[in-house]
Amino acid sequence: MRREGSPWTGLSTIAVKEAADHLTSARMLFAMALVVLTAIGSVYGAIGQLKTTVGEDPFLFLRLFTTAQDPLPSFVGFLSFLLPLVAIALAFDAINGEYQRRTMSRLLAQPIYRDALLAGKFLGGLLVLGICVVVLWLLVTGMGILLLGLPPSGEEILRGLGFLVVSLAFSAVWLAIALWLSSLFRSPATSALAALSLWLLFSVFWPMLTPLVAGVLVPLDPLNPMTAIQQFELQHNLSRLSPNVLYGEMLTGLLHPSTRSLGILFRSQMEGALVGTPLPFSQSLLIIWPDFSALVAGIVVVFTLGYVSFQRQEVRA
Amino acid sequence: MRHGRTLLSALVVAGTALFALSPLHAGTAAAETPQLTGLWLTTDYPERNADFGDAIRIGLDLMNKNLPPQRVELSVDGLPDGWKSEIDGGGAAIEAAMVGTDRTVSLDLHLTPPKTAKAGTYAFEVEGKVVGQGEGRTMTLPVKLTLAAPKPAKLTLDPKLPDLRGTAKSSFDFELTLKNESLNDTVVNLAAAAPDGFEVAFTEGYGSQEITSLPVKAGASKTVHAKVHPPQNVAAGHYQVQVGAQSDVAKASANLELDVTGQPAVALEGPNGMLSGSATAGEERDFTFTVANSGSAPAHDLSLRADAPSGWKVKVDPKTLPELQPDQQQKVTVEVTPGDKAVAGDYMMSVRANGKGVSNSADFRITVMTSTMWGIIGVVVILIALMVLAVGVRRYGRR
Repeated sequence: MRREGSPWTGLSTIAVKEAADHLTSARMLFAMALVVLTAIGSVYGAIGQLKTTVGEDPFLFLRLFTTAQDPLPSFVGFLSFLLPLVAIALAFDAINGEYQRRTMSRLLAQPIYRDALLAGKFLGGLLVLGICVVVLWLLVTGMGILLLGLPPSGEEILRGLGFLVVSLAFSAVWLAIALWLSSLFRSPATSALAALSLWLLFSVFWPMLTPLVAGVLVPLDPLNPMTAIQQFELQHNLSRLSPNVLYGEMLTGLLHPSTRSLGILFRSQMEGALVGTPLPFSQSLLIIWPDFSALVAGIVVVFTLGYVSFQRQEVRA
Repeated sequence: MRHGRTLLSALVVAGTALFALSPLHAGTAAAETPQLTGLWLTTDYPERNADFGDAIRIGLDLMNKNLPPQRVELSVDGLPDGWKSEIDGGGAAIEAAMVGTDRTVSLDLHLTPPKTAKAGTYAFEVEGKVVGQGEGRTMTLPVKLTLAAPKPAKLTLDPKLPDLRGTAKSSFDFELTLKNESLNDTVVNLAAAAPDGFEVAFTEGYGSQEITSLPVKAGASKTVHAKVHPPQNVAAGHYQVQVGAQSDVAKASANLELDVTGQPAVALEGPNGMLSGSATAGEERDFTFTVANSGSAPAHDLSLRADAPSGWKVKVDPKTLPELQPDQQQKVTVEVTPGDKAVAGDYMMSVRANGKGVSNSADFRITVMTSTMWGIIGVVVILIALMVLAVGVRRYGRR
C-alpha cells in the first residue's frame, strides 16, 4: 500500500527535539565532560611542548592538534578514541529505547512516517555531535591564540575546517552504526555491548588483525619481492575497512601538510622531490578525498542498513 | 788672533815639532832624508759640504812621529749655538786621546746641526791640548763646513708595475712605493680618480685593512697596494686610474693603466623572473626561460639542458645557441611533463646553460598537482551508496 505526502514531514521537529533531549541528558553530560577535559589536558601539554621548540613552523596551529606530550596522547589521538564513544552514547538505544519505554507507538501515532523518525534521530544526533566538535575545535584554537599569542593563518583555518568536517563524518559513521544496532537488537544493553565491541575491534584489535590476515592471504615469497608489496597493499586496504584508520589517514593528510601520499611510496617517485615542503591545501584534499568518500559512503550504507532493518520491523502498541 | 794665523796654514794644520831633531838621530839624519818628528792633529778634508738633515761625520787623525806617547785633550771650539758635537774614538765618546810613538789614532767628529740651522758656511776649530810632557801646547785644526740649503718637502709615489691586464672579474693589484723625502714625519692621505663604477681600495703592505691615510717617517718609504675592482659589466678596453698621495705640504701622483679583457657571462631567468611553477602529473607544461649574456664578450656554443627527476619528460627548445652577443637575450622553451606516477608536491628541476668558459644553472621548483580523477571516483562511490539508500527508500519507504 503506497501512501501519499512527503516522507520528511516532521523531520526537523524530531531532529530538534532529539538534540534537545541529548543536550540535557546526563549521559551526554558525562561523555562531553570526559572529552573536554582530555582535550584541555592534551592541548595544554601540546602548547607546553611547542613553547620549548625553537624551530620555526609555518603550521604551528596544526601542531596543537597533533603534538603529544607523555603521558598524554595528542588531541586527535584522544578524539579518534573518544568520538566513537560519544556517538555510541548518543544512539545505542535510539530505537529500542523507544520500545523499552513503550513510546514508539505513541510517536508513530503522530502524522509522521518512520523515515522521518529514523532520519530525525540521526540528524539530531549529528547536530549534537556537530556542536560538540565545533566547541572542541574553538576551544583548542582559542587556547592556542591565548597561550601561543599568535593568530592562525588562512591556510591553518582552512585545514582546521577540513578537520571539523572529517571529524563530523567520522562520528557520523559511529552514530549510524549505533543507530543500526539499536534497531537490530531489542535490548538496549545488547546493542550497547555490540556497539562497544565493534568500537574495541576497530580501534584496538583491527591494526593487529590486518597483518595476520594479509600474511595468510598473500604469503611472502623471498624470491619474489613483488609479494611484499602485494602483501602490504592488501594489509593497507584491509585496514582501511576500519573507520578509525580512515580518520587517522585523513588527519595525517590534513594536519601534516608535507604528507604527499597515504599509501606506499617508491623511491623513484621521490627522486628530485623537496622533502618536507608543504602541499597546497587543494592537493592535500585530493590525497584524502578517496578516504573521505569511502567514509561518507560508509555512513550512507550503514544508515541504509539501519533504515531497512527499522522499516521492516513490526511496531505494536 | 791665533785663529787667523792658523787658518792660513793649509793641509798640515796643526803640526808643530815639539822637539828639534833628537840627538840620537842626528848622525843618521845627515846620511838619509831628515826624519819628521812631531805631533799633529789632522783631517783629510778640512773644508766640506753637507746636506741638510744628513748625519755629519768628520774624520780626525792624531799622529805622533818619533815622540814619546802624548796625551791630548780634545775639544771643539767656535760652533754656533744649538749645534751639538761629539768626538768618538773606539766606538765611544771621548774627551782625550793618548797617542803612542809612531802611531796614529783615528777619531770621528760627529756634528748635529739644530733643525733651525740655516744654510751657509760655518767655521770652527778642533783643539787638541797636550798634557804632560811639553804641556801647554795647543794644536788647532780649523774646519769649514758648508751646509746646503734644505730640500723642499717632497713625496714620491712610484708604481712597481703600472700596467696590469685582467678580466672584469679580476682584482687589479698595483704595488706602489710611497716615499717621504722631507725632514719631517708626516701623514699622507691617499686618493684615487677612477672611471665611474671602478672601486679603488688602498692597503698597506700585505695588510688587509683598507686605509685612507698613513703616517710616513721623514726619509722613509712605505709599500702601498692599490686594489682596483672594475664594475662587473665593464666593457673591454683600456682604463686609467690616477692615484694621488698628499701630505700637508707636498703631493705626488701616479697613473695606473688597466687593460680589461672581455668575458662572457650567462644569466638564466625563469618565466617572468620566477623560479617556480606548477604542473599536473602526466600533462605537458611549457616554461619560457630567458638566457641573457650579461658579460662583455660574446658567448659561443651555448648548450641548454634541463635535468628533471626520472620518469619525467623534458624537452628544451632550442637546444644550442651558436652565439650570444653581450646584452642579448634569447627565449628558451622548456617543455616539462611530470611522470604519470608523480606524487603531488614540490620537485626540483635544474636548467643549465654551458658554453665555452661560461656556465650557469637555475634551480626551478615545480609544484606537481595530481589529476582529479580519483576525486570523481570518490563521488561515484558516494553516488552508488546514495542509490542503495534510494532503493531502500523506494522499497520500504513511507511506512
